[in-house]
Amino acid sequence: MRALIVDDSRAMRRIVGRILGDAGFEILEAGDGQEALTVLEGLGGPPELACVDWNMPVMDGLTFITEVRKRPEWRSITLMMVTTESESDRIVRALAAGAHEYLIKPFTGEAMLEKLDLLGLLRTSTGV
Amino acid sequence: MTISSAPDQALVLAAIEQVWGSMLFATAEAWPSDRAADFETGVQAQIELHGDWNGRLVLTCDSDVATQIAGAMLGLGPDEELPELDIHDAVGEVLNVVGGSVKGALVGTWALGLPGVSETSGAPSRDESFVVSWGDAPVYVQILPDAA
Repeated sequence: MRALIVDDSRAMRRIVGRILGDAGFEILEAGDGQEALTVLEGLGGPPELACVDWNMPVMDGLTFITEVRKRPEWRSITLMMVTTESESDRIVRALAAGAHEYLIKPFTGEAMLEKLDLLGLLRTSTGV
Repeated sequence: MTISSAPDQALVLAAIEQVWGSMLFATAEAWPSDRAADFETGVQAQIELHGDWNGRLVLTCDSDVATQIAGAMLGLGPDEELPELDIHDAVGEVLNVVGGSVKGALVGTWALGLPGVSETSGAPSRDESFVVSWGDAPVYVQILPDAA
């Protein structure tokens, strides 16, 4: 299984990548939403998961999610927002745009794995 | 906890304590006012906050402390080195998460900018900042309103 991590912070991509890598995912990275769309277009098929920051330069995470949801060929991607935006109206907006889950920074590895488990991605990925 | 005005020192300190604990696995404490907290070259991260109050949060620390913060965030061993770009990125992300926690505790509609990080020479004035600990070293925090 593959996961695309979209975050303008290299450090955060590294942290999320380590958690997902340990859970058995092959990691793809992008530094903003536009770059993430380019990565998706270059793949033979969509990844199973995309972890998306909200506040990024060039294209923010909410716009990226909206763009992904316009494309039928990417409908299978599970979208998880991973962001500092903690207000309830932001969470509602992200879910309305098509995000499946929402994880607020700072988070623990355990919290992210719980979300993956709820999404049915953890068992499949680790083969448990 | 929600606050209906500008971010104050207690709110920002609470956010720093949360981030130090959850992201850096460290404890932040207020730095004694009578203890020296100088350094010569350092790293300064800034992030804008806009809403009922407009200004920015600024975090400044010694270059070695910035390296230690980045290492703690990424779980690096003592002999592992990071390029300066990655150290700046990590310190900026720490402030980004602090800013997000502060924003989330404020009532009303607020917007957080993107963090910017640069080299700096010397510590800020203690009259315009408060100081928290990173281990046995100081980290300066400023809550600076935009110029009128």
